Amino acid sequence: MINHEKHKRHEMNRGVCYHLMGCLSLIAVLAGCDTPSAPQFHLNMVQMVSDATPTPPEYQQQIADVLEAMFGTPDKPFVMPESGLDGRKLKMAAGPAWSDEKGAKFGLYRQHCVHCHGISGDGRGPTALFLNPYPRDYRQGVFKFKSTYTAARPTMEDLHRIMVNGIPGTAMPSFSLLPEAEIEALIEYVKYLAIRGQMETALTNYAFNDLGEEDVIDEKTGEPVLDEDGEPQTRLIALNPAEDAEQRTTVMDMLTEIVDDWNAANEQIIVPAEDSIPQDNRSPEEIAASVAKGRELFFGVRANCVKCHGPTALGDGQQDDFDNWNKAHHLFLESVAKGTDEELADERAEVAATLFPVRNAIPRNLRFGVYRGGNRRIDIFWRIFAGIAGTPMPGSGPASAGAQGTLTEEEMWNIVDYVLSLPYEMPSRPLYALPVNVESVK
Amino acid sequence: MILSFTRNLMNSRQNSLLLLLGLMVLAGCNRREELGPVGNLAAAEKIRESFSTGEAGGGGAAVATGTGWATLKGKFVFDGTPPEMQPYNVNKDMAACTIDGKAPLQQTLLVDDATKGIANVAVFVRSASRVHDSMKGGEGEAVFDQKVCVFLSHVFPLRLGTTMLIKNSDPVGHNTNIEGKNSFNQTIPADATIPFKPQKEEAVPVSVRCSIHPWMLAYFLPRENGYVAVTAEDGTFEIPNLPAGEDLEFQVWHESAVGPGKSLVLTTPEAKELKWSNKGRFKIKLAEDEVKDVSLTVPAAAFGG
Repeated sequence: MINHEKHKRHEMNRGVCYHLMGCLSLIAVLAGCDTPSAPQFHLNMVQMVSDATPTPPEYQQQIADVLEAMFGTPDKPFVMPESGLDGRKLKMAAGPAWSDEKGAKFGLYRQHCVHCHGISGDGRGPTALFLNPYPRDYRQGVFKFKSTYTAARPTMEDLHRIMVNGIPGTAMPSFSLLPEAEIEALIEYVKYLAIRGQMETALTNYAFNDLGEEDVIDEKTGEPVLDEDGEPQTRLIALNPAEDAEQRTTVMDMLTEIVDDWNAANEQIIVPAEDSIPQDNRSPEEIAASVAKGRELFFGVRANCVKCHGPTALGDGQQDDFDNWNKAHHLFLESVAKGTDEELADERAEVAATLFPVRNAIPRNLRFGVYRGGNRRIDIFWRIFAGIAGTPMPGSGPASAGAQGTLTEEEMWNIVDYVLSLPYEMPSRPLYALPVNVESVK
Repeated sequence: MILSFTRNLMNSRQNSLLLLLGLMVLAGCNRREELGPVGNLAAAEKIRESFSTGEAGGGGAAVATGTGWATLKGKFVFDGTPPEMQPYNVNKDMAACTIDGKAPLQQTLLVDDATKGIANVAVFVRSASRVHDSMKGGEGEAVFDQKVCVFLSHVFPLRLGTTMLIKNSDPVGHNTNIEGKNSFNQTIPADATIPFKPQKEEAVPVSVRCSIHPWMLAYFLPRENGYVAVTAEDGTFEIPNLPAGEDLEFQVWHESAVGPGKSLVLTTPEAKELKWSNKGRFKIKLAEDEVKDVSLTVPAAAFGG
């Protein structure tokens, strides 16, 4: 284009112009479009330039180095024994997609997942922008559809179920056609990306909270070195576990804390009390009575479902809240707009420009009969019991084993019954109605 | 214009190659720019090696150097014209969430009319080498109430071990959504109380919200010891039984402060004496049985004013 402008302005000799264009193109081809370099993990730049943990470029590089030391690269993942990850599975999932002579497949993540979930698991692959909801960003270690208490990690079984069933009502498809070993390799890789992302957050907080600037001390005199204005000179304490045994211990402690949480997931599964589970052979009258109780709770001030899911359960109640992922971006964009941090203003504007439009968390329309976390009764029970982690949806059961819940298990099963009846209830006349084929399903 | 230019190019056969190259430039290099650095292999290998062969370090716990105990008290005084608090944006449950049809006022920056004291400034010790018996792990219960769709404790410190009684004094249901490491989100029915025992410490206060009434906002600061204070309406605070003879580093935080992570950054002369940092921290060493009184003037600029 620039060449074209010149061409027009100066009536330059056409031959010279073509020659120039050709040379430029050739240079551009040789320089710019070389074979694509191996994909790299990138940092969570919102976190790096946020108000909460403004991270200087020196620390960004050091954090990237420590992460690479602990987790390797997308082509060559590294497994520290303390991470508890299975290196053999990661090897199957990582790297470019290919298969060996026997047909064993490698690079599964890049074959099946990366175009939505991104190389770093940030949910920002090339297709992500076009999807609603956006693909999950694994890096908080927070997963929505799981069998465990609100604050707990998901179990491997939970991730497995999502892989096999997909998430109805979203772009997440089922991978049930993949061999079991491949599904397991991918689940391990998702866990790897999640732990890596959690570690990145922990390192960022550590650099901000516990490292930072220190006074420069003159080695001979032991006195602080002063700058031109007579103020003590400062320098950043490097994040470099290779040179600092104390940092090594701290970093390993952070990893252990994260991994312990994942390992404890199986002890955090919500198991409903045997005697509260509704029987399979209930009569229509018993089911109707349970649905009626569930409906009362749905509209009442104890369970309060109506406030968000709306009086017609179309999901048209409270719609102006955010999930954790969108909220982080919303708050970041707000602070960029306010422009309080002059120092990082350019970097912050640059990062803000890369973000997807922020979306509100819209409560589920319960009339569709499409349940993202699964349509078994236990799936819906878990949603009501623990809420949905990372979203505004609160739980009504105890927050942890032995804690006090808001509703009894029986009441939560009543709500399950009501929710499952909603697709058959007339929206204009929100009264209990039996499905039209009630005779045949009896 | 581009078309005519292209046509000119196509006139000559030898130029078609150039056109092809040009198209490659336009089409082939359209990769999304990723921001930020990537890991450096050499540095990473060094670090990796040190993890497997290097010795572990001390773990960073502060070493006790003194004996006895002391008290720090003080006051935060606003310098400038205090901002007027706007009413909360109440848009549902009007009967329960307003008083005589008026929404309650926000609490983002409360300055006392008479004393100019600033409320809800959190002051706490970052890490203590010794902890007085009376300041060790908490027990018992602490009530965290909500009324007229407002959290009654705007900044709520809690010593781990204490059970938080999340109370709802409203005739409408709430849910209490605590972010951060303790990650709690449960429905709190009208006129009910739900106990919750947080397990993990936070480095700075985290937000507490209600998803049903999104204007509701408070902050929660769980700490392992009792060396925490939140300033009263007149801006005063007091932390007794601090370890004397030790270097103590305090973090100062206010929800409207413009420092990183909402830290309160002061550059006044009295703050300089305390070596106030750009992360809202100051250092102090107290003598045994000393009662140190610090009075700090906070210019409006610390809140972006």
